[in-house]
Amino acid sequence: MPKRDTPDMLQGTLDMLILQTLMMGPAHGHTIAHVIEHRSEEVLQVEHGSLYPALHRLEDRGWIASFWGTSENNRKARYYRLTPAGRKQLVAETDRWTQLARAVERVIRPVEE
Amino acid sequence: MGWMKYFRRAQWERERAEEIDSYIEIETAENEERGMAPEEARAAALRRFGNRQLVQEEIREMNTIRPVESKLRDLRYAARALRRSPGFFCTAVLTLALGIGANTAIFSIVDSLLLRPLPYPRADRLAQISLEFLGQGGGLNTAVNGRIWEMVRDGAPALDKAVYSASVTGINLAFPGQNRAEFARQQRVGSGYFRVLGVAPMVGREFSADEDRVGGPPVAVISHALWQRVFASDPAVTGKVIHLRGEPHEVVGVMPAEFRTNSVVDVWTPLRPSTTGEGQGTNYHVIARLPDSLSWASVQQQLAALWAARPRTRSANQPEEYRLIAFPLQASFTLEIRSPLLILWSAVGMVLLIACVNIASLLLARAGSRSRELATRLALGCGRAGVVRQLLTESVLVSMAGGLLGLALGALALGGLGRLAGDLFPVWQPVQVDGRVLAVTLGLSLLTSLVFGLAPALHFSRIDIQGNLIQGGSRGHAGRANHWPQRFLVVTEVALGVILLVSAGLLVRSFAHLRGLDPGFDPNRVLTASFSLQDARYKDSQAVGRLFRAGLERMKQIPGVESAAVTLSLPFEGALNVGFHRLDGPAAREQGRNEITNITYVTPGYFETMRIPLRRGRLLQDSDSASTGLVALVNDAFVAEYFREQEAVGSHLQVGRQQFEVVGVVGNVQSGAGWGRFGPYGQVPFLYVASGQVAGELLASAHTWFAPHWVVRGNGSVAALKAGMQQAAAAVDPLLPISGFKAMDEVRAGTLGMERFMMSLLAGLAGLSLLLSGIGLYGLISGSVVERTRELGIRMALGATFGRAVRSVVLPGLWLTLAGVSIGLLGAMAATRVLRSMLWGVTTTDPLTLGGVAAGLLLVAVLASLAPALRILRLDPANTLRHE
Repeated sequence: MPKRDTPDMLQGTLDMLILQTLMMGPAHGHTIAHVIEHRSEEVLQVEHGSLYPALHRLEDRGWIASFWGTSENNRKARYYRLTPAGRKQLVAETDRWTQLARAVERVIRPVEE
Repeated sequence: MGWMKYFRRAQWERERAEEIDSYIEIETAENEERGMAPEEARAAALRRFGNRQLVQEEIREMNTIRPVESKLRDLRYAARALRRSPGFFCTAVLTLALGIGANTAIFSIVDSLLLRPLPYPRADRLAQISLEFLGQGGGLNTAVNGRIWEMVRDGAPALDKAVYSASVTGINLAFPGQNRAEFARQQRVGSGYFRVLGVAPMVGREFSADEDRVGGPPVAVISHALWQRVFASDPAVTGKVIHLRGEPHEVVGVMPAEFRTNSVVDVWTPLRPSTTGEGQGTNYHVIARLPDSLSWASVQQQLAALWAARPRTRSANQPEEYRLIAFPLQASFTLEIRSPLLILWSAVGMVLLIACVNIASLLLARAGSRSRELATRLALGCGRAGVVRQLLTESVLVSMAGGLLGLALGALALGGLGRLAGDLFPVWQPVQVDGRVLAVTLGLSLLTSLVFGLAPALHFSRIDIQGNLIQGGSRGHAGRANHWPQRFLVVTEVALGVILLVSAGLLVRSFAHLRGLDPGFDPNRVLTASFSLQDARYKDSQAVGRLFRAGLERMKQIPGVESAAVTLSLPFEGALNVGFHRLDGPAAREQGRNEITNITYVTPGYFETMRIPLRRGRLLQDSDSASTGLVALVNDAFVAEYFREQEAVGSHLQVGRQQFEVVGVVGNVQSGAGWGRFGPYGQVPFLYVASGQVAGELLASAHTWFAPHWVVRGNGSVAALKAGMQQAAAAVDPLLPISGFKAMDEVRAGTLGMERFMMSLLAGLAGLSLLLSGIGLYGLISGSVVERTRELGIRMALGATFGRAVRSVVLPGLWLTLAGVSIGLLGAMAATRVLRSMLWGVTTTDPLTLGGVAAGLLLVAVLASLAPALRILRLDPANTLRHE
């Protein structure tokens, strides 16, 4: 039995956010964590540690690839970059997300007339 | 990377840890830059990261083959759970093993005979050219006469075909140099027989068309086994000579070891088909191989056209009685055994179903003890899917254990079945537990685990957690509502059991009927020894007469022998059929009216030896010889059939070219049903003629099909009698070996082989189902007693009598049985229809069988309920209440 199943919805969202972040170029875990936190205007407060399983999952699926490099302050760090498959996945995810968001919006918006 | 990570695990994990370290260092450094103290900066970084242990564990779990590991864990739990209840485990495994074992054994036979193709190349293109009867009841006649063979031979050029005789007869394989002979099984086949089957001789060749015509040279093809035994596997065997049927034959070929047909054969000789003699009757079989260019349908059309165009003796506007068809060879080979095998297959299927139902019911009965454990598990966060998976794992474990044990039982049972079946079933490929059977058995076990495991698992997963934890699971009256599934299962089980029991009961009754029929003679202390007279040296009645006289002279001198005789055919066995017509009285005026009767020749002492009563007239005498008037005896059945209006004794019959005077009437004996009767044996019309007066041509055809028997009646040990007969026969002609001894009981058993086989198997299976139903009922009742201990205790404390308490426990079981029996009886009436062709002297609605089964099952129900009910007797109300 999994010890800590992140609900599906959140997991998918996290995946999408990671892929989105890597669109701008390769980054290591620390950077990704901070970027996600800032870009979501600190709404999505996650423990940075929970990012790492997600990174490995994405790597496992072949959406991102990793390599060892040095960080901005010359420390050894593991970098991730988007693969072509990951790029495609991101497009698909984004579309799905937008559709879902629109649908939700339509439901919530009061009927005009 | 990818799957490699499973192997370089240590390194992989180190790298993950390093990555996390790297995050913490970077974060710490940034914190320090913001002005935190080093200690504080590190603590903040760790806080930011969250629970490192958990994250690492989650990553690690991603790196394990999760399904395998969790399956292993499920297996461990399941094994532990089963170890805790060995009684349940053993019962379930044994129950299943019996069911699976029966299925394994029967499936091995069904697979080898019905499902697998015959062991010839492109066996699906092989056909038996047969006559389909179009009249009442239909039916298939796979045998044809010489004229039909010639019609097919000349009229269907597209088919590759051959003719053969399906009968395998014993002949003498003599070694004149050593003055001894042994017995060999011979089949006569036409040229092209092996070619059509698609199996070439491994040494030499098969018969040429020139050798396969009347008057052709004596040649033989021998089996691999005979080649090894007689010629020590000599590769230069062709051209060598073996002495068959009293004549030298040249060996032209040896068949490969794996070549088999629907009978075991040592030597093949040319058939030499004709349209006279045996070719007049339907004594031939025709096989054909369909070319790839022809579909079965178009072959049927060709044959129909051929049949329609045949020259007909009767007027052409009469409706056709028969139709010529191509029948698949395997179906033809299995014509007689298909339905018995399918019946057995369904019976073992039912037993397996009963076993599954039983285990399902046992699993449900465990509800009392398990519900608390499972509720605890659910409460501790194990998902419902987890519980279902857990319970299914237990079922799979039970089914695998049962399957393996069943496989072993099945392999054992197969050996026993082989002995029980004797030579009932032809064997063209080994019947054994092989890869296919193994796969089917294990698949079946898995399937059963789903069948019996799923319902209880789903039932449990809907358990009421709170209620069970608070109540302690096994108390109160409320649990009774959950018994409905189990009750349903018990009813099903009983109903299936009734169907099997009724089927078995009918077969037992039928068998008893056949065994109980008056044989018409005294079968005790009679020993028979058969020998082949298909021998060039015994072509005429003089030579045969000399042999019989000299042989009987010696047989009578064996110590203990009272009388001895020779007969062409024995009671209980089939006899030669001949056409005849009556020469006087009103029947004689019906010109060309040919009747058919069973006939046998005997030496005069036969009736005295067998103790067949003489009704009137006289018996045959030694003085009835070739030089005196031809005489015959008829039996009561013959008189009833043909001499209702005139006196039989003194009238005349024409058989072939001979005219016989009927000099006496004897009693009926049970004979293999040939002409005029259905069933394994019966009282059929019989004509007895003196062995010394039979014409040479009748002798020749009789000896082609039948081996005569020495028959002695005597005291003393069977072994001594056998030795004496053997010596006597060898002294008269060392080249005429005795092919086998049989007491009359064994002769009858031989005729009833299929009946005995089916009866024994179905009775065994029915017994098994009865046992299983008993266990099922016992489980149900004892479960309800345990569960209701408290309730019963209170009732008895409040003044309910013991009898009342017992009744309240036992009655539901009886009602369930009654329901099951009623449903089962209805089912049995439908199911036993398929048995109708195997029943003699009993109808499918035999009240004794139906009533006996119903009463028997109710008795089992009472016994199964009584044992747990008596536990109430030991119930101490005070004690029960104090336990609260």
